[in-house]
Amino acid sequence: MDTRSSNRTRTSIRALQLIMLGLCLVVLGRVFYLQIIQYDTYSVLGEENSIRQEYVSPSRGLIFDRNGVLLVDNEPIFTITITPSKFDKEKIPLLASLMNVSDSVITERVNEAQRYSWYRNSPLLTDVDFETFSRVQENLWQLSGIGHEIGSKRHYPTDLQASHLFGYLREADRKEYEASDDLRLGDKIGKSGLELIYEDNLRGDLGVEFQRVNAYGQTIGEYEGERAGQNPLQGDNIITTIDAELQAYAEELMQGKTGAVIAMNPNNGEILAIVSSPNYDVRRLAGRLDRQYWADINSDTTRPLYNRAISSRQPPGSTFKPLMGMIGLHLGHVTEETIIANRGGYQRGRLYRDIAPLGDYDLEKAIAFSSNTYFYALMDKIASNGQFNTWSGLVKEFGLGVPNSIDLPSANQGIVPDSAFMDRWFGKRRWGLGDMINLGIGQGVLSVSPLQIAQMTSSIANGGYKIQPHIVHSVQRSDGTFEYTPIVYDPIDWVKDEYLEVVKNGMRRVVEEGSGRFYAKTDKVAIAGKTGTAENPHGYSHGWFTSFAPVDDPQIVITVFLENAGFASTSAAPIAALLHEKYLTGEVSRKFVYNYVMNWVPKEDNSQRSE
Amino acid sequence: MSNPREFNWVILTVWLLLTCIGLVAIYSATQGPVSEFLPAHIQSNFIKQLAFVVVSILVMLGVQFVSPRTFMQLSYVAYFIGIVLMVLTLIFGNEINGAKSWFRIGPFGFQSSEFMKIATILAVANYLTSRRNISVENIRYALISVLIIIIPTGLVIAQNDFGTAIIFIALIPVMLFWSGLPYGVSLFIVSPAIILYLTVLNWQLGLLSAVVLTGIVFFIQRRKWLTITSFITGILTVIGVRLALTEVLQPHQIARITAFTNPSYDPTGAGWNVIQAKTAIGSGGISGKGFLEGTQTQLRFLPEQWTDFVFCVIGEEFGFIGAGLVVILFMILFLRLLRIAGTHKHPFAQLVTVSVTAVYFIHFFINVGSATALLPVIGIPLPFISYGGSAFLTNTIMLAIILNMDFHKREFSIYR
Repeated sequence: MDTRSSNRTRTSIRALQLIMLGLCLVVLGRVFYLQIIQYDTYSVLGEENSIRQEYVSPSRGLIFDRNGVLLVDNEPIFTITITPSKFDKEKIPLLASLMNVSDSVITERVNEAQRYSWYRNSPLLTDVDFETFSRVQENLWQLSGIGHEIGSKRHYPTDLQASHLFGYLREADRKEYEASDDLRLGDKIGKSGLELIYEDNLRGDLGVEFQRVNAYGQTIGEYEGERAGQNPLQGDNIITTIDAELQAYAEELMQGKTGAVIAMNPNNGEILAIVSSPNYDVRRLAGRLDRQYWADINSDTTRPLYNRAISSRQPPGSTFKPLMGMIGLHLGHVTEETIIANRGGYQRGRLYRDIAPLGDYDLEKAIAFSSNTYFYALMDKIASNGQFNTWSGLVKEFGLGVPNSIDLPSANQGIVPDSAFMDRWFGKRRWGLGDMINLGIGQGVLSVSPLQIAQMTSSIANGGYKIQPHIVHSVQRSDGTFEYTPIVYDPIDWVKDEYLEVVKNGMRRVVEEGSGRFYAKTDKVAIAGKTGTAENPHGYSHGWFTSFAPVDDPQIVITVFLENAGFASTSAAPIAALLHEKYLTGEVSRKFVYNYVMNWVPKEDNSQRSE
Repeated sequence: MSNPREFNWVILTVWLLLTCIGLVAIYSATQGPVSEFLPAHIQSNFIKQLAFVVVSILVMLGVQFVSPRTFMQLSYVAYFIGIVLMVLTLIFGNEINGAKSWFRIGPFGFQSSEFMKIATILAVANYLTSRRNISVENIRYALISVLIIIIPTGLVIAQNDFGTAIIFIALIPVMLFWSGLPYGVSLFIVSPAIILYLTVLNWQLGLLSAVVLTGIVFFIQRRKWLTITSFITGILTVIGVRLALTEVLQPHQIARITAFTNPSYDPTGAGWNVIQAKTAIGSGGISGKGFLEGTQTQLRFLPEQWTDFVFCVIGEEFGFIGAGLVVILFMILFLRLLRIAGTHKHPFAQLVTVSVTAVYFIHFFINVGSATALLPVIGIPLPFISYGGSAFLTNTIMLAIILNMDFHKREFSIYR
């Protein structure tokens, strides 16, 4: 080996050693940079990689009756979940066959979950039966991205139907969950009834839980590190004013009938029972949506989803007469002694018919036997004296024709017309005295809901105080504190005790001597009431009976409204009477009335306006 | 027989340490809690590797008793057998991970391309040193040397194994350089790779490097035409890469190439490996998360964590102490091997030692470079550490040959 070659070898080795040493130092520097300098970044990344933040749904608040009877609670359901980013869509047929549903159902749900979030775990199908649940669970290994969890659904431990009262839950739709921080896809929210109105209380706050997951998103176990999860905050419990026993009885009596019952404490506005019939089965809407059933109740012509107790809008008929009488007294058009004779009707341009027994009527008797002539005459005087709008204002003070802030959704405001309304309704100068005279007997454009009639009756029963009907007595927060619904109890200024006395006596005589004597009269309870008929251009008239008892110290107001019922005295009145007796004495003595009500079928009513 | 004291115990110790670290890492990557998420054939990787280690130790010992001249004598035969094996593999072989480079013998798959690395090195070394007057400055000899390397390279590419092909191609400048190719020309040959890499990072940097490298070429060699060619090649490389990245390639291809610098561009696709690898290493910190405690490793976030990303397992579970030790052990290995090359009188021994060192180094640099996102992800195992029986055996045989020639140095030089 010559010198030149030897030199070159030495240089070459130096060169190679330098290159390799240099690059090794670069690598070492890079490792140092990643592990020491960027440790804080990557340790967080590493942790986040293997930790999944799961939301834990809070358990929804419970609903109790006034005596602490549990009406609504929760029961566990099995839910199959999906993380779309990890799911292979080619597994849809497999998943569908495991779950016994069609591919299209799964596809639709997968797409929905995908739209919601690519990375979050969303419910795929809720409320699956245990067998399906275990079948999917066994096959999870070949279904990456699919998981499972235990959820909950509403459970109703009593026999109560009360569908309009409780309301149903449904999965929040896209708009709703996108607008809310607390809602996730698949979360259910109240859509009607108390569940809707008290949604914010009942729902509670989401909890957070950290789990260890592997790269496939499978949960390996609980995360035991520095990050603390947060327990979900249970929803508030709701204590209602409902008397479960009375509610159950009212539901039983209303079976097979179309209409509504409201039982209320006239002294504070607490609703004791509220029934709208026909109803729907809230239990069938609790779990996974039964599409067929949902379509059925939506297309049913009897409209079971419609809450007649607060949303129905009908003329009050003769139930309006007591209030009308008080207005007459207040405006000075009549006194307690004023006599108006019924000679078959009231003549004013035309004959306004009256089929009450012919003869002389003072106010008390006019209420007791429901003479129309008396109230036509009275309304005529009011209208002729230019007091139409005054009249309207006085009526509204009893809660008619104004919005009602009861804690249930879609309460109807009803119509108590004033001249501005009449102008809009009929057109300017296209309405006249005749349209107003009709209002005197609760007909014409006047319209009210059963709740408003119950409220009006309460104000008569309680000595002239305006109350606010409500269903929730208090909200019990998860920390144990209570929030009470404020009680409204405001005197209606223009109402005087002597007016009330006449009217109450008249209403008492309705039951003792008038149309109510057949079924509403009982020596167990002193009931005062008033029947009424709402004219129905489409068929049988609708019947009203509104009442309170005991007459001297009213504890309960009961308003019954029956559609296509014919005689209110033989349809609505017996229901009210049974409920009075049930509530005030704890039992029903007159079994024949009960049997009568249970076997009752509507009949045509020929004496509509005389009731 | 030589004096055992003259045996290079340092290199043997480094080899044993790397092997043990490798076994620990493979154990963690396949037998730890992660095994629950691994198919059975991967869980058995540790046992298979252990078997290869035992065999390799025997081979290592056995090779020491062979006369160093044998390697020269066997070089062409080995090369020919290797070529035949590779062709057979191409026809009858099994395809694993898209590469058709496996030859099954019982439960063990054997990669003929690994064996071919030794054979090629020996053959080129033997060719270039067989006669005194051969020099690569003579274009004919240079071309024949390149041809000896290009043939197996072509076969490896046909087997769809681009990682190994890079190793073969990288041998060309190394062997030519060692055999007397002028420094400037050698630099000129490797300069496109450097410019390409830097242009992918940043095209201005690429342009700058083209100018600087041309300057160095001129400074070393002072040949007018070489300098001009070097400059034009450099500029063309920058322009070509720019055009490829902006005009020619599809977005997904660009994403794959640039994923190592910007993994968040496609975090679930091309960037996934890079993100997970960096996260594994970075989250190891100084002392690591502990044996079998690495979340990235044990929860299966790392791809190919027993081979291509085995360095991440070490980095995550043993931290900078572990990863740094591995880098330093390799550094010692490389420098020691080059020092051995310098002590050889016989050019064959020199050339083989340098080539083998270069092969180790390229494996090391690309593997760790991929794992630490210095380089694009190229699937190449880390010598002595990654799982892979044929690779481990081949690497050991190469080391055994070097140790043999070093051990029998004096005996060897007699035959000059």
